[in-house]
Amino acid sequence: MPEQALPDYALRNRAKWTVSNARYTAGRARESWAKDVHWGVWHVPEADVQALPDVSGLDVIELGCGTAYFGAWLKRRGARRVVGVDITPAQLATAREMNLEFGLGLEFIEANAENVPLPAASFDLAFSEYGASIWCDPYLWIAEAARLLRRGGQLMFLRGSTLQVLCSPDVGNVGTALVRPQKGMRRFDWTDDEDGPSTDFHISGSEMFQLLLKTGFDVVDFREIFAPEAAVDHPYYSYLPAEWAKRWPGEEIWRARKR
Amino acid sequence: MPEKKKKKATTLPGYVVRNRASWTVSNAEYTAGSAHDSWAAKRITWGVWKVPEDEIKVLPDVRGLDVIELGCGTAYFGAWLKKRGARRVVGVDITPAQLATAREMNTEFGLELEFIEANAEAVPLPSASFDLAFSEYGASIWCDPYLWIPEAARLLRPGGELLFMRNSTLEILCSPDDAVVGEKLIRPQKGMHHNTWQDEEGGGKSTVFHISGSEQFKLLRDTGFEVTDFREIFAPVNAVDHPYYKWTPVEWARKWPNEEIWRARKR
Repeated sequence: MPEQALPDYALRNRAKWTVSNARYTAGRARESWAKDVHWGVWHVPEADVQALPDVSGLDVIELGCGTAYFGAWLKRRGARRVVGVDITPAQLATAREMNLEFGLGLEFIEANAENVPLPAASFDLAFSEYGASIWCDPYLWIAEAARLLRRGGQLMFLRGSTLQVLCSPDVGNVGTALVRPQKGMRRFDWTDDEDGPSTDFHISGSEMFQLLLKTGFDVVDFREIFAPEAAVDHPYYSYLPAEWAKRWPGEEIWRARKR
Repeated sequence: MPEKKKKKATTLPGYVVRNRASWTVSNAEYTAGSAHDSWAAKRITWGVWKVPEDEIKVLPDVRGLDVIELGCGTAYFGAWLKKRGARRVVGVDITPAQLATAREMNTEFGLELEFIEANAEAVPLPSASFDLAFSEYGASIWCDPYLWIPEAARLLRPGGELLFMRNSTLEILCSPDDAVVGEKLIRPQKGMHHNTWQDEEGGGKSTVFHISGSEQFKLLRDTGFEVTDFREIFAPVNAVDHPYYKWTPVEWARKWPNEEIWRARKR
């Protein structure tokens, strides 16, 4: 995809994820690929959450795949085809290395998940765990996911909770004060990250619900994820204290079906 | 009617008795006096900020529908739905004072609503007899969701709809026991289900139920509903503090949603 087609936030996020890849995700990828399905920063096992549909035989696209550990898990669970899409070459390089090592036969495309160079109606499941679900503009990537899915196909994604975003100061960890209005929330430009400036997106629960309805989806599941009682602060994603996330949900999972 | 006899013998849960006492006071202080204006209103409006239905467009077409309002209070919302063409509107409430106001208005406006004094968690009406079950700050907050939602499911015909407004989860998380809603999380969301509040002036206590969005979603799915709409309501820019329901400052509700509307369809 031509450089000039990428929006400012995609370029910024690519630079940040290039650094994060070198500092953390490349080193973690092998261990992640080897595991079974779990969710979010607290690694809550899918066995406890039971949010995934049966993926046997499905064509899956992971939007903002990073090192593609989640796509690897879905392939191992029986997905027919898994395509990972990401804009950061360093992340895709790690993903490709793991793919060779584990021999899972995933496919990768360097592209912005808001504009994927693949034909319409070619997937049964569009998926994102902290990928397009937070790094892309929901008004673009959700519509793009709808385009990529076959009728009856499912969209599933994990993102930070609205509450977490409301309680995230510009500098420092998530706290108990509401530091941002929910009214009009959409784009957030962050500078307090050692890996460099980044931009993420979050619209409220009701706006997400309306967006899904308008893009042709029925909402079939909504989960809020707490840190398990035994959880400790994440070594790398430390902005979300475990003690906070035991009381309030730091993450949420949405599942929707294309009409 | 043996069924009625059985219901009478059942004692009401403690929170119902408490909430009835609280609403008897609120009826005398506020709702009896405001009922006439509410029934007469030309526009349907939602919640403490009176957000107009013609702006948010969340109601289904109610023409010809059999409607039950669960926790109807003075039944102004049921009256609006009857005026919009509902075939039958039944209001259910546990507070005789509220129902007395509702009946008085019903006679005055000639809308022919029906009223039943009952707990919305156990309504003495046959299953599958309504097309729309409705609550605006009624059963939606004063009854146990794990009881009233299955009861609504029982009362609805297949394809029937459930529509209710309640406080937002965020408002509950930011509600202290003894002051108005603030800008700090002071209650855990984990395990939230109900809370008993000290009433402002009446001196009594009332019990309000609230489960989180994901638990509400799961409960609806588990009781046979598809969730078809979800809205969060802010105070409009020109809103002012409510004269009676003062616990949510208007400034707070301009930044954060203090109310939410759920709509679900029975499979």
